[in-house]
Amino acid sequence: MKVKSDDGWSPYVAGALSGVVLILSVWITGKFFGASTTFVRSAGMVERVFNAQRVAAMEYFVRELPQIDWQWMFVLGIFLGSLISAVTSGSFRVQAVPDTWERRFGPSRAKRAAVAFIGAVVAMFGARLADG
Amino acid sequence: MTMLVYGLITGVLFGFLLQKGRVLRYDRQLGALRLLDMTIVKFMFSTVVVGMVGVYLLKDFGLAKLSVKPTLLGANILGGLIFGIGWGLLGYCPGTSAGALGEGRWDAVWGILGMLVGAALYAEAFPFMKKTVLTWGDLGKLTLPDALGVSPWVIIPVFAVAAVGLFTWFEKKGL
Repeated sequence: MKVKSDDGWSPYVAGALSGVVLILSVWITGKFFGASTTFVRSAGMVERVFNAQRVAAMEYFVRELPQIDWQWMFVLGIFLGSLISAVTSGSFRVQAVPDTWERRFGPSRAKRAAVAFIGAVVAMFGARLADG
Repeated sequence: MTMLVYGLITGVLFGFLLQKGRVLRYDRQLGALRLLDMTIVKFMFSTVVVGMVGVYLLKDFGLAKLSVKPTLLGANILGGLIFGIGWGLLGYCPGTSAGALGEGRWDAVWGILGMLVGAALYAEAFPFMKKTVLTWGDLGKLTLPDALGVSPWVIIPVFAVAAVGLFTWFEKKGL
């Protein structure tokens, strides 16, 4: 059986080009790359739907206002850029359970979802504590 | 508005390159954490070496400012350890979860939802953290050149040579 090649580019080349994108970003807009603040702003936007007064009074949401900013669009862009690259190279693959996970922990979607969700809660809490 | 457009364009370029480098996948992220597959480290250090040269050149020519976050030893160490546990379970980090979803790995949705909850919980915990962990080991805005009292142009070549040395070793070991 012939497996379709899914090698992509050298990580050195793709990484170095990302460095060039970073330099241009810092030069043109003064913006460095980051993603985790976007999750704070988005959480605030969701909470605001239920209790706007409470969100407005919370110190952390005063520091990181619940609004769409440069970084929010940057994170959205990462999604779109990855989608474009994956679709145009034939490496887009709808997958609910990663290969190595399935080999070790089995094909259960629920199990993967539960661990991913809990891991994500913990990871973001730590990321914000360490300030990104 | 212009800033939002720049954000989107920058993200599209970065997401495109992340996908080309094949660093968005759970398998790759866990491979790096288990020291079995260094693709992500190769990508990251290549970005850092190129980025550090360019950013410091821009700074020296007065075209950009550094964005240095304060070093808070307690928060950085504790937060880093907590992040690491979560990252190992999830297999995506905040930025790559968006990218992983872009290439069809939709278990990243659980990651994105969980990260929203984690961010909301941190917002609740912030007043407490501010009085405790965030006061431990505050060294202010510190860079490696500042801490060592040398020019950045001493650190940069040392870092670059070390990175190339590491890359050579990875390739020899087939990592």
